[in-house]
Amino acid sequence: MTNVWEIGTDIGGTFTDIIAIRRDTADVRIAKVPSRPQAPVQAMLEAIEAVGLQKSEVKRFIHGTTRITNAIVEERLPKVALIATRGFEDVLDISRYRRRDLYRLDVVPKPKAIVPRELCFALDERLDHEGNVLTALSDAEIDRLIAWLKAANVQSVAVSLLHAYANPVHEQMLGERLKQFVPHVSLSHEINPEAREYERTSSTVFNAAAMPIAVEYLSELEERLPIGSGLQVFHSAGAMIPIAAVKRRPLVMAMSGPAAGVAASVSIARQLNKPRVLTFDMGGTTTDVCLIVDGQAEMTDGKLLGDRPLRQPMLAVHSIGAGGGSIVKLGSGGLSVGPESAGSEPGPACYGRGGLRPTITDANALLGYLNPETKLGERIGIDLVAAVGVIAPIADGLGLGLKETALGIIRVANATMARALRRVTVERGIDGRDCTLLAFGGGGPMHAAGLAELYGITEIVVPAASSAFSALGCLTADFSFLQQQTLRVGLDGIDLARTGERIDAMVDLALDPLLANGIARESIDVDLVALMRYAAQADAIPVPFTRPLDPAFMRKSFLAKHRELYGYATEESCVIESVRVQARQPSTTTVGRPGTVAKASTPVARTCSFDGARDVMTDIIDRSSMTGLIEGPAIIEDAWSTVVVPPGWQATPDPSGNLYLTKVAS
Amino acid sequence: MTLDPFAVEVIRHGLSAAAEEMSLVMTRSARSPLLREAGDLSSAITDAQGELVGQGRDIPVHLGAMAYTVRELLKVVPASTLKQGDVLIYNLGALGGNHLNDVKVVRPVFFEGDIVAFAVSLAHWPDIGGTWPGSYLAKAIDTFQEALRIPPIRVATADGVSDAIVQFLKVNVRDPESCEGDLLGQIACTLAGEKRIVELCARHGKDMFVATLSRLHDLSEAEMREAILALPDGTYEGEDFLDDGGPNDEPARVHVKIVIAGDEATFDLSGSCDRVSNFCNTTSFIARSAVAYSARIMSGRDMQQNGGALRPLTIITREGSIFEPGLTAPVAAGNHETSLRIVDAIFLAMKDVIPERLSAGGATTSGMLSFAEPRADGSWKMLYEVHAGGEGARHDRNGCSATRVHLTNTSNTPAEVIEANYNIRVEQQAIRWGSGGGGKYHGGDGVVRSYRVLAPSMHLTSCVERKLIPPFGLSGGEPGKGGRLTLERDGVTTELDGKLNLVLQRDDVITVEMCGGGGFGSAV
Repeated sequence: MTNVWEIGTDIGGTFTDIIAIRRDTADVRIAKVPSRPQAPVQAMLEAIEAVGLQKSEVKRFIHGTTRITNAIVEERLPKVALIATRGFEDVLDISRYRRRDLYRLDVVPKPKAIVPRELCFALDERLDHEGNVLTALSDAEIDRLIAWLKAANVQSVAVSLLHAYANPVHEQMLGERLKQFVPHVSLSHEINPEAREYERTSSTVFNAAAMPIAVEYLSELEERLPIGSGLQVFHSAGAMIPIAAVKRRPLVMAMSGPAAGVAASVSIARQLNKPRVLTFDMGGTTTDVCLIVDGQAEMTDGKLLGDRPLRQPMLAVHSIGAGGGSIVKLGSGGLSVGPESAGSEPGPACYGRGGLRPTITDANALLGYLNPETKLGERIGIDLVAAVGVIAPIADGLGLGLKETALGIIRVANATMARALRRVTVERGIDGRDCTLLAFGGGGPMHAAGLAELYGITEIVVPAASSAFSALGCLTADFSFLQQQTLRVGLDGIDLARTGERIDAMVDLALDPLLANGIARESIDVDLVALMRYAAQADAIPVPFTRPLDPAFMRKSFLAKHRELYGYATEESCVIESVRVQARQPSTTTVGRPGTVAKASTPVARTCSFDGARDVMTDIIDRSSMTGLIEGPAIIEDAWSTVVVPPGWQATPDPSGNLYLTKVAS
Repeated sequence: MTLDPFAVEVIRHGLSAAAEEMSLVMTRSARSPLLREAGDLSSAITDAQGELVGQGRDIPVHLGAMAYTVRELLKVVPASTLKQGDVLIYNLGALGGNHLNDVKVVRPVFFEGDIVAFAVSLAHWPDIGGTWPGSYLAKAIDTFQEALRIPPIRVATADGVSDAIVQFLKVNVRDPESCEGDLLGQIACTLAGEKRIVELCARHGKDMFVATLSRLHDLSEAEMREAILALPDGTYEGEDFLDDGGPNDEPARVHVKIVIAGDEATFDLSGSCDRVSNFCNTTSFIARSAVAYSARIMSGRDMQQNGGALRPLTIITREGSIFEPGLTAPVAAGNHETSLRIVDAIFLAMKDVIPERLSAGGATTSGMLSFAEPRADGSWKMLYEVHAGGEGARHDRNGCSATRVHLTNTSNTPAEVIEANYNIRVEQQAIRWGSGGGGKYHGGDGVVRSYRVLAPSMHLTSCVERKLIPPFGLSGGEPGKGGRLTLERDGVTTELDGKLNLVLQRDDVITVEMCGGGGFGSAV
């Protein structure tokens, strides 16, 4: 038996991380290679080589990716056409009217529509809210649309017709006809079967924009790594999903990479028994944060991406467009970072790959935090001269010294991150300073202490394999699949038989991929959650339940949840808006300290600066050789990541290879 | 006492976060689409004296008036009579009010036996009784015709919510079922505020908390003073007009004389017209709210919006004018129309001094349409909908289309939600392309929305301003297109007055075309 390796990989905007495990021997291998936005599959195959494996040795290959997120956040999306009901084709320009800032006229109040007016088509057809056809969609109208589409010359089309969530008949007709003329068609009733035309259309357009990107590389991956159902993608909701399903709904990958990091964090939070954990995943392009309470990450039904709504069940990860590769700008309002990123090509100036604009990583290099001698992952070196070259103009502009400027850049970056932490804690009503900060990703461990200082957090954990942590999440998460469907049934007079059948069908759908992977039904857990609200409310709250559905129990649980959240409950009638089914095989995978981590080059001391003024000779510690407590200032390195321990902080390893950073009482 | 600057920051963010959480609780648990979809609500936290110290990201006109809601309350309900668990409800204009639909729910927050803050929830009730469903009567002779007037009443105490008062309110409004859920939501939202404030006190200590609030006022005051000092001393005048309601129903004048002297500014609105003949009168608190917003824009600075920011400002209104029309004058629409005209007048006064901080005239009207449909049991279903217009252009960019400007910020109710909840079909919702004024930078475009009545009858209220007098251009830019309101009945389209009450029949189509923003700079 040769195909014994399971591989998790996380494709970020800058690096692709890979971790391979072999369950029979408990072997673990880790590597990091530069991402290749132009050739993502090639990068994945190179990553397999980088851990010394042949394709034929791979049994499962699960990847998470920020490819879709980054394309959306950076507004690098392929051209999409929108087909909407006549009279409603301006829906994206109209949005919901509301502006972002109350007291600022200098900023544009709303983001502009991602589909320009000339690519929006007004289709003659109309349904009412019960799904009755008011104006039928004629063949002649479809012909008119097809003629227009040919002229528009787009690869992907979003169809979002009014009330399609109530009756998909017209969208389905278009889906059938259009697929002969356009490679990619996204139908709103499949992407987001909920009322509210702007939110549904926005989500559908995102899906349409993601489709050409996703289908192209997933098809190539299937071809070049033909391992059948062993090939999976990490879903935004923290579960796996088969490739075929992702191709139709690539939007489920929107938070794929971040979700994998959160999944890994959940297992660490449980292992270390930390009741409140804030994840801090700083990559090359974005930073993602998420709150984990009592070993559970919060779920949400949607989020804003680039200020536009995206409705999907997903982990409540908050992303901001600031990472190591984020471009630093000096404008009239002072320093700003991101969301524009140097990505992996050319990357930060100090990577010496032709980057000419200053990034956060360049500032870190200038302060001495990055090892100038080690080849990062043996692929990328650090070019200090180049870093100085790009930071100097900013320092001149500010009239400050180089290091002072670099430190200022780091502070601005940390302040941006602190706002993200505030967002995820405030919405749950939790004081973030009581949380443990779990720092990973390329930049997380470098910025963690500065951020914690700013935010008032006193304990940081840098997990083993921190640099490939999201990749690890692909393997250590429960092996699970998720289904969510809108039911919208009132609890009074509910048709139990019919509702029960619909839920059973959802359970079967969620179970299928697990059974196809040869997992026995007995070892699969099924979690059921109803999203419930009062009939007159818009927002639904999650209520766990079991089969058979018991209306009295549902009502009681809903009232209790409502009271817990809002402090009151009434006797009004309530509704099951939708049901979420998760089928999962609980994870048994724990990965300890990786055996094959390459060592950093000879540990020495080097000059670093922590206050922007003085240079301090700082010990450089090889992480794999650490045995006891280390007082800051120190830099702890392994092959791919750098942990900065500033003065006033100390670091202690635990037996599993996790690193605790704590503030020394002053 | 010496204040730890880090703790001051934490408390400042904590207050905003608490207010934001209050609004979240309100929106999520509300019943009326006006609250849960359009978000016509605001949350604020005041200090023990009733001065604003924290606010949500809600509706500036509400927040500006809420700076007075508790202060005025404490003049008639002394703090010494309040007990832990008390929750007061009121809507009177005289008590830091704006219009009767905006019902305030206020909870004193106690820590170690003393009041340390108040948590305030404001929500626009879609109906609160009175002559016409929706509680807006364009030609009301007084406020008694408009709606139920509620003096401060304890709707809840430590013993719980008063059923008698809830019943009293329910029998006086046209949609009692939604009203009850919304009211309980407001009470819950002040409870959420209380919880967060108590946490802040527990963490930092009561003295530190109280001292910090005082410090926050001082910081904003200093910021505002510096900003005013940087403006050139002088007297600047500007005026703009409401479409009608003035003498002989001519346009009604809103005039401001701004005197900048050192680090203080006076905004004298005495030159504005007398009490108008429709529902566009307003309260002096709304005048203050509009000035507070405008001063913030004039400052060009980021600061915490609180009572301290108001200290360097003197605001003068004249008795008998549109801003002091008497305690029983009708005021329903002045809240969102006349208030915005103050902002327009101030911008016009300052247009040559700080053009780069301002924008050309935008859609400074709610563009409100409310539809009421009787149910078989005699109660009514209420839809209250505002509409977005164009933003005025700025010195360096075009105005944005379909957005709410300045003091307003409520959302639309999606067409799909309207159709699922009311006997209305939304025939179109589109951008009114080309409605923005031209110029070096052009104004944003307004929206067009058409509603077809599917019930035997509906009671319509409209409040579409900026029909006759369009949003102004700046520095040579052209004005935007004025708004329009039309009725299509039996195949005949007629143009309607912007502000009216009308009974609609089945198959009537009402179309609102919102004004575009003005342009900035002359086109080459």
